[in-house]
Amino acid sequence: MGMARANEHQGRVAVVTGGSGAIGAAIAERLNKSGALVHVLDLQPSSLPGADFHRADVRNEPDVDRAFDAIGKSAGGIDYLVCCAGIFRRVPFLDLLLEDWQKTLEINLTGYFLCCRAALRFMRPQKFGRIVLFSSMLARTGGVNSGHYAASKGGILGLARSLAVESAAENIRVNTISPTITDTPMPRAVLSDEEIESRKTGIPLGRIGRVDDMAEACMFLLSDDSSYLLGQDLRVNGGSTLW
Amino acid sequence: MVASDPRVTVVTGGGSGIGHATAVRLARRSDAVCVCDLSEAGLSETAALIQSEGGTVLTGIVDVRDQSQVRAWIAEILQRFGKIDCLFSNAGVNARSSVADMTVAQWSLLIDTHVTGTFNFCQAVLRRMVERRAGSIVITSSDFAIVGVPNAANYCAAKTALYSLTKSLALEFSPYGIRVNAIGPGPIDTPLLRAGRTPEGYANARAAFEARLPIKRLGRPEEVAAVVDFLLSDRATFITGQLVQPNGGQVMW
Repeated sequence: MGMARANEHQGRVAVVTGGSGAIGAAIAERLNKSGALVHVLDLQPSSLPGADFHRADVRNEPDVDRAFDAIGKSAGGIDYLVCCAGIFRRVPFLDLLLEDWQKTLEINLTGYFLCCRAALRFMRPQKFGRIVLFSSMLARTGGVNSGHYAASKGGILGLARSLAVESAAENIRVNTISPTITDTPMPRAVLSDEEIESRKTGIPLGRIGRVDDMAEACMFLLSDDSSYLLGQDLRVNGGSTLW
Repeated sequence: MVASDPRVTVVTGGGSGIGHATAVRLARRSDAVCVCDLSEAGLSETAALIQSEGGTVLTGIVDVRDQSQVRAWIAEILQRFGKIDCLFSNAGVNARSSVADMTVAQWSLLIDTHVTGTFNFCQAVLRRMVERRAGSIVITSSDFAIVGVPNAANYCAAKTALYSLTKSLALEFSPYGIRVNAIGPGPIDTPLLRAGRTPEGYANARAAFEARLPIKRLGRPEEVAAVVDFLLSDRATFITGQLVQPNGGQVMW
């Protein structure tokens, strides 16, 4: 610890789940440019040059364990874990099938559990680890047709705080980021341009989030600049929710 | 103004602890740093360190409770540098007492210094920030804005007021592109943590903190300065109205 080194990320082994998605890819790219050894876990191949791609379904325990074992053993450890893998499909509550509920919980929450557990097996013995889990402002505010998603994202906050307490003494820091709506293909797939435009009116800073906002927040939480932060939720939301 | 102009940053309570560490850190990233405190010795120490590293620093003995002193010093800064980009409103004191025994003076000292002092500084700099439609403010609140603590009702009330002020300022000034955030430090190894405690009392308090904190150690002022630096900077352009807590896991919510 101490003052951040000029390039503290150099040589760090980083795993980014959902690393082929917009936010995950931006973080993977930032880490790669900072000299980290980046491994992307996703179902969709990563187009990021210089990153190792591992096809894995985060719901699948053997898939996840196999991927992390391969990374940790070949790289000699795992230093950073960033979890972004998630799905969001709005469904009115009375139309929500058990299958929809379970799929959302399994990918968004159980997937984080499996990835954290697999990464901690390497972080704990080396007494170093930085974990950033992406939650959502919907964990706090809830949202129409979003009960399953909000539940999964709320679960992430509880998971992160518990892991933070459990791992703090081993120099492993766990924090979360709660974005508001961010300009990525995920919301654009379910919202019209007009709907996205109207969302800006509820955001005091007058715009929706950008992928770079989330990448900056993530780099801060991975770096020594946040050495006394653990179990915290960084709300990157333009002031849309002040708690 | 050209882009290469140094950022001008005001730090209150910059004579010790978190304010000192933040002033030094921001000077290292090339800010022109304007530091005030009531302690002349503390100010001299901060200024000497910054100057020895080739940084730019302006100091002022300012009682943050006194609006005329605050306005006069802000005017002096504007005369010297022509603008103010950032404010770190951090000046604070403590006076521990049970509520049963607390004097009005102990109550008012904390409310006036923390809350009115921050109001005075925010109002003075925001008037200029609004004209330039740019600026970033960080206010030192506390974990105690979230949780209560015995024998610190005055401190908790002041810090909660600061969190509330932060949120209102964030909403009021976001149309001008001005961001306002708060930090909620946990126990940080500073003179303020020692204030009002005997050496033995401090040792006991420190041991109790270390046992209770998930991270098992007190924080260092530099660790808080790094968070202030982040929030003031362009790395946090989409963060406003938030409480960010470098607290070793003391409070998670």
